[in-house]
Amino acid sequence: MLFMMRTTVVIALLPVLTSADALQDAWVSAIVSFFGAAFLVAMIAGLGAKFPDLTIVEYAQKLIGKWPGKAVCLIIIWAFLVIAATDTRIYAEALVIGSLTETPIPFIIFSTVIVGSVAAYSGLEVIGRAADLLFPIFVVMIVVSLAFAIPDATTMGSNLEPVLARGIGPVLRGSIIPTVIIAQYLCLTMIIPAANQPKKALGTALWALTGSTMVLVLVTLAVTAILGPHQGSRVVFPFLSMVRTIYISVFLERVEMFALLAWGFGIFIGVSVSMYCGSRALAQVLGLDDYRPLIGPLAVIWGTFSVHSYHNLFQLRTLFQPKIGGPYILSLILVPMGILWAAYGIRRLAGGKPDEE
Amino acid sequence: MGCRIGIGKVRYMRIHRRKKEKTGDPLKDNMDLSQRYQEVQKMKLAPGLEQTLQTLQQVCGYSQDIKIRRFNINGQIPAALVYLNDMVNTLSVEEILRVLMVDIQRIEGWQKDRGLLRSAIKNLLIINSIEETDSIGELFYKMTYGNTAILVEGQAEAFVCGTVDIKNRDISEPLSETNIRGPRDGFVESLCINITLIRRRIRVPHLWIETFEIGSLTKTKVAVAYMKGLADEKMLEELRSRLRRIETDAILESGDIEQYIEDQPFTLFPLTLRTERPDLVCSSILSGRVAVLVTGSPHVLVLPADFSMFFQASDDYYEKPPQGSFVRILRWIGAIISVFLPGFYVAVVNFHQELLPTTLLLRVTASREGVPFPVIAEILIMEVLFEVLREAGIRLPVAVGPAISIVGALVLGEAAIRAGIVSPAVVIVIAMTAIANFSNPVFSMAIVLRILRFAFTILAVVFGLFGVQFGMLLLIVHLCSLRSLGIPYMSPLAPNIPSDMKDNFLLAPIWARTTRPKILGRREPGRQSPGQMPHPGKHSLDDIKGGNQDKN
Repeated sequence: MLFMMRTTVVIALLPVLTSADALQDAWVSAIVSFFGAAFLVAMIAGLGAKFPDLTIVEYAQKLIGKWPGKAVCLIIIWAFLVIAATDTRIYAEALVIGSLTETPIPFIIFSTVIVGSVAAYSGLEVIGRAADLLFPIFVVMIVVSLAFAIPDATTMGSNLEPVLARGIGPVLRGSIIPTVIIAQYLCLTMIIPAANQPKKALGTALWALTGSTMVLVLVTLAVTAILGPHQGSRVVFPFLSMVRTIYISVFLERVEMFALLAWGFGIFIGVSVSMYCGSRALAQVLGLDDYRPLIGPLAVIWGTFSVHSYHNLFQLRTLFQPKIGGPYILSLILVPMGILWAAYGIRRLAGGKPDEE
Repeated sequence: MGCRIGIGKVRYMRIHRRKKEKTGDPLKDNMDLSQRYQEVQKMKLAPGLEQTLQTLQQVCGYSQDIKIRRFNINGQIPAALVYLNDMVNTLSVEEILRVLMVDIQRIEGWQKDRGLLRSAIKNLLIINSIEETDSIGELFYKMTYGNTAILVEGQAEAFVCGTVDIKNRDISEPLSETNIRGPRDGFVESLCINITLIRRRIRVPHLWIETFEIGSLTKTKVAVAYMKGLADEKMLEELRSRLRRIETDAILESGDIEQYIEDQPFTLFPLTLRTERPDLVCSSILSGRVAVLVTGSPHVLVLPADFSMFFQASDDYYEKPPQGSFVRILRWIGAIISVFLPGFYVAVVNFHQELLPTTLLLRVTASREGVPFPVIAEILIMEVLFEVLREAGIRLPVAVGPAISIVGALVLGEAAIRAGIVSPAVVIVIAMTAIANFSNPVFSMAIVLRILRFAFTILAVVFGLFGVQFGMLLLIVHLCSLRSLGIPYMSPLAPNIPSDMKDNFLLAPIWARTTRPKILGRREPGRQSPGQMPHPGKHSLDDIKGGNQDKN
């Protein structure tokens, strides 16, 4: 259970570093997004808690029959694919922009995918332990970056004003993306049966969400304060740009490479969990006993997908526009989970006890 | 010195049967080892004394260390003592002779009744153990433990008397694990003495020692020591089955056993902790671990081992906790430097110059001016040279040692810089790395870190810091997937066990370490009663009236 919490926190923290919109009120969006995200998490993890011993592939087949269940699960698997591929791509783009300007992107992507598939091959337990090890590094990185940002942020606090000058509309729109990125929590549907106390999964997930929202608020505050609202929403990786401004002494300047690498640890956890969940879910859909033979082929698909689905960074950014990414990612969560909840509810109303079949 | 090991489960290994059964006379030259072995195992003692003696001598090829002392029991019945030279206590042998030649006449009619002779031998001899055997193979095996055999004319059994007096190296301070504070005794090559060293520290019957015999030719005794009721039974059963699985003809050192019982053979990392220090073995046993002792090896294996154990030395515990914590942190920093520094340097110089403060960057660049090789070549040349120097230093006689350091330090370091072949920065990096590596207290881990450093240097030159990260992630995944005797190798870091962090990077005071490691010691979690933090008493010395008067 412990490891799961850490893993989810790490995963939840990832998007923080990429998304900061809604101008000076971005931090309000962050708070607002918490409620939407909490609802989605409850939706994802709640059903899992009803079937503590089953993965989504198994209980989906129980709830709506064999083939429809499998079909719904394909959507989830698609979501895992999109998440892992996008994460990898974002990281690769950040690396190329940040320091390795002449390295081909596919190269970085495939390296990341290789590490992720090795981890996925080793199993969930190993990923969890690796997350245990990396979690402190990751948190320390964020805390240190934020702490170093404080002196700058306080002097430039005026960037945060005026509060809610443009009404609540942009704030709500700004909160869409941080909300839907919660799709990362879909991995809970596969992990819950492996956790020590599946019943507590929902609580843990919500705590993780709380922690990540706090960090999200702090980061958006710092980013907006330091970079200013307009630049903050325009630069590609706001958090990294903020870290770049850190200048404590002659010795501590231009440390964003370390922030980048620490972020890579987080990406690694996210990618390997997604790959594990994806291949395991696919194995269950196909009726295989072992998911490991699938990892090789899937890794190739993942890498290729990551390379080819976005031509460049701007296309990637378009995905994270509220108008495009919102409905798309949201449907990845809402459609399968909605169908399953509906089936669960109908069965419940019909008098059966669906979780005890 | 009496060697009395409680033999729990002795298993006699058979030599692998790979050839066609060839029966015949084992005394002929054409018999190969395995057939010879089986023939000798089948051979029995003959009733005739001379015949038995001749067979025995022929079986061992008249080896000169077999001593035969012929005599007549009370001047009447021919008999002989057989023993191996220099393994027996002469006084005991003389005692046997005296009893058999003189004292036995006190017993009436022993000449006619062989049962009487047997009981006479058993009752008159003041010897701690007397056993009987009728097999040549077993007889010889017992003689190798320093026993003396009494052979009597007309009797097809030998009496084997315990007369062992094998010379051993004195107990001395282990050279590879020196410490500043703490006991200075170290294990020796004798299993009995090693077990004694543990027994002397843990004086309860619950310290159980199981003995296995492994190796069909060496017949090496392997002892497994643990606390009954504390060590996990499943873990013990796993260890037993791994030991029983070994079918080989020779075990000469605990390193041989180590490779047979590891959980994962394809890893660089040591999955068992090897030590010469009895105090370390005892503290491990007391926290639920198991020690494997092997005859002829001063290195005792402790398992399950976890990664952090390789960064701890017994000194840490004997010093005060802040001191212990300080050196531990230093060791971890040393380990990180020794793995990553050369790779980091290469990556920074090649790819990420912006990470260096400008003045430092200028210095480094200036020092590289005119150096003919790329950074990676410089680093690798110096690394390899240093490793060769270190390896050469280990095997050298003490008298030649300083010569190597002079050649290494002056000729290679100084001259290479002067000649402009390598840059001073690289020499500094290599030197720092080397020194940092020596801060690791366990050789088997230090060498792993050294090998990893090469891997990381190469990754760094190809991929920059991203390569270092790539390697680091692979390393972490690998470390997390390792287990030692079923226990996760990275515990208590991953899975994270907060209560075990009292004895990891930082060391809590001994009165605060009230629990055993959680996974290992779960059968008996409490180690001591809590709340033993010392506090000053109510009476202090300056309360005593007239304190300052007494000055003689």
